[in-house]
Amino acid sequence: MKKIKAITGTKWFSSFLWIVLLIIAWEVGAMVVAATKRTPENILPHLYQIIAAAFSGKKVTGDMTAVQAVLSSAGLTLIRALLGFIIGAVIGFLFALLMKMSGMVEKILFPYLMLIQLIPVLGIAPIILAITGDINISRVIIAAILSFYPVAANTLAGFKSVEQEKYDLMFIYAAKRRSLYTKVLIPASLPYLFTGFKIAAPMAVTASILVDTLQGDGGLGCLLSQSLKHAMSIHVFWLIVFFSAFLGIVISKVIGLIEVGIAPWRRRV
Amino acid sequence: MEREVRLQKIGRRKTLRQRAKENRKWQKASTIVLPVILGVILVGLWQGQVLHGWFHTDTFTLPLLDKIGGIMFDIKDKILINTLSTVSVAFIGLLVGSLLGYLVAVLAAMFPKIGMGGLSVIGAFASIPVVALAPVLNNWTKDVSSQASIRSMVSKIIVVTLICAADMGLNAYRGLTEIKPFSEDLMAIYAAPKRTVLWKLRLPNSLPYVFTALKVSVPASIMTAIVSEYFAEYITGVGRQIRENIVLAQYSTAWAYIATACLIGVISYVILMALQSILLRRYH
Amino acid sequence: MGVEREIEIKTRNMGVTFKDNEDNDVQALTNVNLEIYKGEFIALLGPSGCGKTTLLRCVADLQKPTEGDVHIQGMTPKEVRLQQKFGFVFQQPVLFDWRTVKKNVELPMEIMGYSKGERSDRADEMLEMVGLKDFANHYPKQLSGGMQQRANIARAFGLDPDILLMDEPFSALDEFTKEKLHEDLLRIWRATNKTILFVTHNIQEGVFLSDRICVLSPHPGRLSAIVDVDLDRPRALEVKESAHFNELVAKVRNSFEGGSV
Repeated sequence: MKKIKAITGTKWFSSFLWIVLLIIAWEVGAMVVAATKRTPENILPHLYQIIAAAFSGKKVTGDMTAVQAVLSSAGLTLIRALLGFIIGAVIGFLFALLMKMSGMVEKILFPYLMLIQLIPVLGIAPIILAITGDINISRVIIAAILSFYPVAANTLAGFKSVEQEKYDLMFIYAAKRRSLYTKVLIPASLPYLFTGFKIAAPMAVTASILVDTLQGDGGLGCLLSQSLKHAMSIHVFWLIVFFSAFLGIVISKVIGLIEVGIAPWRRRV
Repeated sequence: MEREVRLQKIGRRKTLRQRAKENRKWQKASTIVLPVILGVILVGLWQGQVLHGWFHTDTFTLPLLDKIGGIMFDIKDKILINTLSTVSVAFIGLLVGSLLGYLVAVLAAMFPKIGMGGLSVIGAFASIPVVALAPVLNNWTKDVSSQASIRSMVSKIIVVTLICAADMGLNAYRGLTEIKPFSEDLMAIYAAPKRTVLWKLRLPNSLPYVFTALKVSVPASIMTAIVSEYFAEYITGVGRQIRENIVLAQYSTAWAYIATACLIGVISYVILMALQSILLRRYH
Repeated sequence: MGVEREIEIKTRNMGVTFKDNEDNDVQALTNVNLEIYKGEFIALLGPSGCGKTTLLRCVADLQKPTEGDVHIQGMTPKEVRLQQKFGFVFQQPVLFDWRTVKKNVELPMEIMGYSKGERSDRADEMLEMVGLKDFANHYPKQLSGGMQQRANIARAFGLDPDILLMDEPFSALDEFTKEKLHEDLLRIWRATNKTILFVTHNIQEGVFLSDRICVLSPHPGRLSAIVDVDLDRPRALEVKESAHFNELVAKVRNSFEGGSV
């Protein structure tokens, strides 16, 4: 009895319970849809149908099965997203550092930092494509712009979270400015930096997929548009939906794991 | 001799302090003046076509600001209609989603054992790309109405709702549960029923967190509305107009809509900030 | 004692005036004349608002006096600070979450450029002294408040500073932990012979620990009395039950200007 209670009491178990509930709800929905609609697979196919589509050897495009097609386009999309994310994150971090180092720079840039967050960047994706004329560069740029703000804002918040006493302590030890940054400010900002990463990474992926849909040049988004237009089995569409949802979730979990690896003091005691 | 040096130092210190005092006014002014200077420089670079040189583009793709302004004025009626469409989608989705997210958070706070897991599932929803959600909901809302405009709108609203619900749920849960130590104990000493604890303690405590959530979800709701317009059946909204005009190579018009989108973002944020300063006055 | 004692810290007509939000002058400290000998344990005692922390911060160069001056070993506080001769313990244990206890103790030594081996040896020694040897590789968040403050003290002693400045270091701790730390602090002080300036608002604490008590009074903050504590050393906790201890406590209490506090 105790053991059962110990298992059911954990957070994992209740997450599991919810996932089971969602699956049941989905399947019930699918059954209702199958009984009432003409093209049920467009609206809510059974989960096993999607899984079957994933593992069937049937070619959906020229020479690739569904899984091959999804994975190869996902690779294209993810590499651009990652590249953009890294560029955006590095620039974001440097901006935060610069703003911390100079009050003047902070005053000049802070309002613009706010503004960037308020501009619907995905809305300007088409114009960036028009300016650069290259889908891959656009993907990287958009992902970078989207990653930039969360990283910059969170890192700056991290720098500002350092209490006056710590500055006083470093002052009394006659620490150089450099030590203040390397030994106090940057380590203190790490947890905040990761919060920024967790927000930025899924956005970079979303951006990359969205830019894919603008031009038929490969990538997950491109495959998504094609499958929507019934260029291939509709189950591929569902596969992509599930896969991109899965990607989003996995990416934030992976960043969480990296954080625990880099910042062991953040582990729950 | 030493005494003299000291006195001099004191003298200089005083002038330094005076300078700092004068500085205080300058400091205040500079928070406005400095960014404005940068803004003017940027406008200058744009109008002087320096930006065009940097980005290897022309005034056709990146029209001059006065031209964009002129077009915004010329097609202001059309812009208004599309703005209304985007804003209503974003606003309704934000409202419904935030309420829904808050409700889930309240349930999770009252029944933590089951609720915690529900929240982590909702959190997972937050990381699902909008581009994957939008087409699914297009399919799901096919039977909502025979009119494409209405069913498109419903579909877009649901996407915004889901995104905002996730954001609000996670933040509100923190607000409902991260309560100052002892205040919960105080309630227990007065034998306050769960309902009273919720009304008198948890809900007021969560208000600042609600705004934390809104600061993220207000811009996100606009962005989501714009992106789901791309996939919608019915052609309307600021985002869709950007895309349609670019497809037609009418870049100036597209820029007019981009400027509109930015304006929507900024104005909605200003409204949110004003609301926050009114509602949270008691908290400071 | 007969032997001429060396003066370590000397303030001359020192005062601090600052502006409040409404631009009025507030006198935090005025006309402080104080001579502190090398190796002395001085308590700065007074109610809140009497400027005791301001005085400490002026010695540490964290704040500049607006009148008069401070001399330490014949130098300005800034010169002494740049030679890294200060140790400072704050009221809150200012530990760095991302460093283990040992790494926290090593921090000032890193800044001073000690070699790795030297740092490690010295940190081990300090942790042993404060009784945290077994917790060297723990993170601060894993320690109790008392242990965190011990780590803080170990860090302050680690650099082997000439002067240790302590700003109400034990005021947030419970009575039992505090008494234990009092004994430890006195033991370490005897072993290392530092000059200690110890800010407190607790009369018993001041009497138990110090050689002399500088009593400060508020509005404006000023030095109102200096009380010699002629209790024998080493002192054990039992001394607090002696009649003489209580006489001294009463004497300090009566020395506050304006009577009761």
